[in-house]
Amino acid sequence: MTAPGAAGSAGGWWGTEDVCVRFGGTLALDHVWFRAEPGRVSAVVGGDGAGRTTLLRCLAGALAPASGRVRRPAPLATGYMSAGSGVYPDLSVNENLAFRATAYRVPPQQAHERTGELLARAGLDRVGDRLAGQLSGGMRQKLGVIAAMIHRPDLLVLDEPTTGVDPVSRSDLWWLIARAAAGGTAVVLATSYLDEAERAHDVLVLDAGTVLGSGTAEQIVAAMPGSLTVTGERPAGEAGRRAWRREGRWRVWDPAGGDPAGVIVPDLQDAVTVAILARELSLVPAGGEPR
Amino acid sequence: MTELPAQAFAVTRAFGHFVAVDQVDLEVRPGEVVGLLGANGAGKTTLIRLLLGLLRPSGGEIRLFGEPPSRHARRRIGYVPQGLGLYDDLTPAENLAFSAAVFGEGPEAAALPAPLRPYRGTVVGALPLGVQRTAAFAEALAHRPDLLVLDEPTSGVDPLARARLWETVAAAAAAGAGVLVTTHYMDEAGECDRLVIMAAGRAVARGTAREITGDTRISVVEAESWAAAFGALEAAGLPVTLVGRTLRVPGVPPDAVRRALGNLPATVTSAPATLEERFFELTLSSGKTEAPS
Amino acid sequence: MWAMIVKEFRQLRRDRRTLAMMIVMPVVLLIVFGYAASFDVTTIPTAAAGPGAAQVAHLVGEPFQVVDTEPSQGRAWAEQQLRDGNAAVAVVTGSGRPQVLIDGSQLFTAKAAIAELSAAAAKAAANGAAAGGQASPPSGQAQPVVTVLYNPGLKTSDIMIPGLAGVVLVFVGTIITSLGVVRERQSGTLEQLAVMPLKPRDVFLGKIVPYFVVAALDLAIVVGVGVGLFGVPFRGSLAVFALGAVLFLFVTLGIGVLISSVSENQGQAIQLAFMVTLPQVLLSGLIFPLSSIAVGVRWISYLLPLTYFNEISRGVMLRAEPLTSLWQPFLLLALLGAIVFTLASLRFRADLAPAAPRGGAGSPRSAQKVASAAGAPSRSAG
Repeated sequence: MTAPGAAGSAGGWWGTEDVCVRFGGTLALDHVWFRAEPGRVSAVVGGDGAGRTTLLRCLAGALAPASGRVRRPAPLATGYMSAGSGVYPDLSVNENLAFRATAYRVPPQQAHERTGELLARAGLDRVGDRLAGQLSGGMRQKLGVIAAMIHRPDLLVLDEPTTGVDPVSRSDLWWLIARAAAGGTAVVLATSYLDEAERAHDVLVLDAGTVLGSGTAEQIVAAMPGSLTVTGERPAGEAGRRAWRREGRWRVWDPAGGDPAGVIVPDLQDAVTVAILARELSLVPAGGEPR
Repeated sequence: MTELPAQAFAVTRAFGHFVAVDQVDLEVRPGEVVGLLGANGAGKTTLIRLLLGLLRPSGGEIRLFGEPPSRHARRRIGYVPQGLGLYDDLTPAENLAFSAAVFGEGPEAAALPAPLRPYRGTVVGALPLGVQRTAAFAEALAHRPDLLVLDEPTSGVDPLARARLWETVAAAAAAGAGVLVTTHYMDEAGECDRLVIMAAGRAVARGTAREITGDTRISVVEAESWAAAFGALEAAGLPVTLVGRTLRVPGVPPDAVRRALGNLPATVTSAPATLEERFFELTLSSGKTEAPS
Repeated sequence: MWAMIVKEFRQLRRDRRTLAMMIVMPVVLLIVFGYAASFDVTTIPTAAAGPGAAQVAHLVGEPFQVVDTEPSQGRAWAEQQLRDGNAAVAVVTGSGRPQVLIDGSQLFTAKAAIAELSAAAAKAAANGAAAGGQASPPSGQAQPVVTVLYNPGLKTSDIMIPGLAGVVLVFVGTIITSLGVVRERQSGTLEQLAVMPLKPRDVFLGKIVPYFVVAALDLAIVVGVGVGLFGVPFRGSLAVFALGAVLFLFVTLGIGVLISSVSENQGQAIQLAFMVTLPQVLLSGLIFPLSSIAVGVRWISYLLPLTYFNEISRGVMLRAEPLTSLWQPFLLLALLGAIVFTLASLRFRADLAPAAPRGGAGSPRSAQKVASAAGAPSRSAG
């Protein structure tokens, strides 16, 4: 069912093949195919309950699927940050990192250097002795990411590292993430910020456990059915059900692609909103085909 | 309503030596949505607590509906804190009933809005986040407040659900309420009539998103090997963000970037900054990015 | 204000654990106190030695109950019966006055025996006087020599402090351990641990060892203060005592881990730990002697680990009881330990190993809840 350590440096990949996960009566993941490659950042987007955390837990090895295959590295080569930072609030920054380094068998000298370097670049070098619980949200998330990547894993799985974090700390976090990818790690992160997802190499869109779309941001946008127009007021009647508010105005989705006048170029957030809306209106079935 | 829902005049608040809010002016007019942006530790939550009367200012004045904050004023305020402010172990209906009773409203205030009716029997702790947020909004709006204060009201929710929550906010503003909202989603800045950006306790920028971004430009790097370019820029101490496979460097002109890259094969161009990048620049230049908690 | 009352009632109705504590607890306490709380001793196990042993059974009446008769044995054997806890009173018959040995470490039994003997002596004296000074005393009616062994002063502290040692271990073992493990669940780091290259066994033992050390230290302090300050004797083998303590700790620590595995937060863990600890303090023979607890309730005592540790600690400290006669409590502690430890490790493993998800701890809702519980404080700054 799982094949740890299957991907090598020669074009291997990590991910899931046709994975289903069941919690009691609910299907949390429904035939999900996902692929993450070394040196690339993959974003997993979707609302609460979409299955992002479940998927990430499968990738990290915290959860075994009911069916399907998970390709992941051995636990020593996997880095995981659970939602909500995953660090001990009653240990200091340095103590948290020391615990991780020891648990992942990083030699002390190497751990020392790497810790110093990462903390400095993330702006946490002056708070080494502060308790993690006393850090602000952004700093704690940064610590969580550093802790997850301290042993240079082959696969780095981050559950919502940037949610609730201010844009400045988010920028630092993206630096850390990009750094990991630059080092050859395959990075998978769950995010609720679609502008962030656009920055990733590829995106997986989940909704209620099924894949609504996957590929690069451009591919997902290109695959959006129909077209979008923008109006100042919500249209009346049936069209009103296909409209949503964004930045003070209303986007209206026409599934059939209609009149080219007034059509705007959608971005990833628009494409994802359309996918969720379409699902809700049951106009387009959701698919989970492999890439 | 002739008086403004909320006003802050040169408000300052210090905790010992640490100045959390430094001479901030703010006002919220009826029917408008004011967005408050800022890094964690910039003072947003402290400012909100000052406005709500939960904290007393060390300097300056706060006025709610023309008066200093009082319990009477609280009846006219709806507040959704970051942690939602609902009881996990009660159903939405029970939460609303409690709130309605406390605000002295009649039974119609305790009525569940349509989107929540399917969830009437489930305790809030067992509901999906989007529904929880909808319930929190419903509770804050049930007593028809004249001032709505929302602290990161859409965090973690999918884009369609976010859009719907914003519909509710817009409806409240259209009905005459003044709305103060904090958010980390840059596109939600577009929902606000006005923005106030805070950094290190000060208000460092005001206006609409377009006004604040102005003509700021950033440098864009497209390189054959983004990893090498990233390394070079990082070594030069420049702030870099990775977007797909291009690199963006805010606050640094293209020639400086070109120099940092040395001989690496890459094209460096200039592009308009996003609100987020402008925000980033403002926060960095104010000197402090993180404040002690 | 009415709204607050209604709301609190609604929340209370859903909080099953608190309800259990508020309603079930008083009922349980009532039953316990009704049937268990008694200092009255109804039977006193007695051993008889020496040539006149057989008659002892006829001569002594209620509450003495002769459990062993050995005509060929003498005082040494009688003392051993007391030391091994086989009898509370031993009568040694021989050429001279009969000797009555009483086990002072069973405080209430000893006091009851002394009261009976005094009453009998007074009656015999009265009979003798009434009979008008017959020359030869009736056979077997010579005044016995009464000696109280092991706790001659019949001091309460001497028997309480060995028992207290056990209570200390119960507190550290159960309550504090349950908190330590639940903290992991509350801070959201349990999930993080599940992914690390640590075996569940490593995590389990790693979590328990510090509490083990602290509990051992506490025990040493209690015993040290008891012996040094209160003059409680420590007559037996330190090794046997230590072995008993280690076994007992295994059981209580295991119970602590079990409690934490079914609790979501520290409040729940404390409630459950309290509900498990209170019966042990009341029914283990610490305060009320086991023999005076009604049989219908006494079966509960036999399920409690503290009952067995009390036997061991009192036996070793006061009577220098050897391992050979303590095999029963040791065996039972070992058995309890094996059961609790296995259950605890299984539950721990369920939390940590990548098992197929079930409805409980593996549900996305609880992971979300844990995440938001840990994440909410982080977003409130600034």
